[in-house]
Amino acid sequence: MTSPRQMVVTLLTVAIVCSIILSFVYSFTSPRIIETQKRMTLDGLKQVIEAHEFVEVIPDTLWNAVDSLGNTIGIVFRVFPQGYGGLIPITVGFNLEEKITGIRIASAAEGLKETPGLGVKITEPDFVQQFIGKRGSQISITKDGGEIDAITAATISSRAVCSGIRKGIETYLCYLTPSYDKNLLFPDAEFIEVIKDTLWYAVRDNDTIGIVFTAITQGYIDCITFIVGVNNGATITGVDILSSNETEGYGALIRNREFLDQFRQGTPEAITGATISSQALINAVTDGLTRFKEYLK
Amino acid sequence: MNKWQIFTRGLVKENAVLILMIGLCPALATSGTVRDGFGMGLAATFVLLFSNIIISIMRKRIPHEVRIPIFILIISTFVTIIDYFMQAYQPDLYRALGVFVPLIVVNCMILGRAEAYASKNSVINSALDGLGVGLGFTLTLTVIGAIREMLGSGTLLGVAVFGEAFKQSPVIFMILPPGAFLVIGVLKALINKYVK
Repeated sequence: MTSPRQMVVTLLTVAIVCSIILSFVYSFTSPRIIETQKRMTLDGLKQVIEAHEFVEVIPDTLWNAVDSLGNTIGIVFRVFPQGYGGLIPITVGFNLEEKITGIRIASAAEGLKETPGLGVKITEPDFVQQFIGKRGSQISITKDGGEIDAITAATISSRAVCSGIRKGIETYLCYLTPSYDKNLLFPDAEFIEVIKDTLWYAVRDNDTIGIVFTAITQGYIDCITFIVGVNNGATITGVDILSSNETEGYGALIRNREFLDQFRQGTPEAITGATISSQALINAVTDGLTRFKEYLK
Repeated sequence: MNKWQIFTRGLVKENAVLILMIGLCPALATSGTVRDGFGMGLAATFVLLFSNIIISIMRKRIPHEVRIPIFILIISTFVTIIDYFMQAYQPDLYRALGVFVPLIVVNCMILGRAEAYASKNSVINSALDGLGVGLGFTLTLTVIGAIREMLGSGTLLGVAVFGEAFKQSPVIFMILPPGAFLVIGVLKALINKYVK
């Protein structure tokens, strides 16, 4: 029989020595672990869209894909729809033309829990490549009226992938804002950011000549993001749509130059057949003008 | 028993999975492919070798009453070390083995060798025992992994072995849990018939 004192001392000593060893190992492996994880995430992103750099917008969920000149060329987002055996981790690349550039579904080794040999086939090129170049509205399996051929005997997994991607596009479309050349609103001016990604002063020859702001409004289908230039006389120098997903032939008419140019002469009339979209834009431009007027000098 | 016998005993004659029937959970769960089985086997061998050595060195100083918590502490330290190393240098393997690396801690094969052998024998013999049992475990998992991967996925190390047609529609259930039981059962039967 060992004395209780000896038991405690031995156990404690072993525990302390183990902790010291572990903290030492942790101290030199942890930077490497973080780096490895970052690199693997980045590799995953590069597989769905060709870009020079990725700027994280929402941690582990949404990135802006940027080219070597710093222009936004698209977004990458991750969604996790419920499949047959568990959540399906999907990475989706989406470009400024609002088309899918590529998708990547995690393999079984990376946590995909679909049935081996059946549901797991959603990771295969034959299935995955169908998504390239498609718009959100085309993404559903043919049985549901879409353009994606489901995998035989894995309808649930195929359907889950489609609905996950479709919902992801709906959610993150608002973040798809191209880098806009603000000189279209104020030629030869330089721009100083006042509110991050929202408001800029237009400066020419050291004089502030106006402001540029961006805003978001709810259209008929999805949000519409737009940019507005206002000169010191509180007159609009131009309005442009940055992104919208309005109905082709109707709501999409808000992108028409003739309509947008009317803002320079005051408040335009709503477009027939696109009343909701155009009225939403008109109201939002007016609201933005009221909100940012105080910045005018 | 000479040193060679101590080493080889764990390979087949006292094979942990097929003779002693211990360490079955990881043997079933991580033997879907050759690579996973081999990786799991090596990870367990590493832990077993070093835990046996350390426990054997300390065997005279470990109070009998608290030996189990001390064994577990030592084993879990090695498991955590290997867990960090895999995450840092072998991330693909780490993701494949996933939850089973931490579970090496409770693999009764490792605690079993500590209790039954390392705590009573010299350092050299304990190291040989750990290495032998570990390699036997690795060998078993690799063989089970090879059989299951060939039949269940139609591949070996990712390369198609029975032609592309078989790879398209393999015997799926072999890579599901029942396939593991079946393969282990058949191997056990063969060993009983030819080795004993």
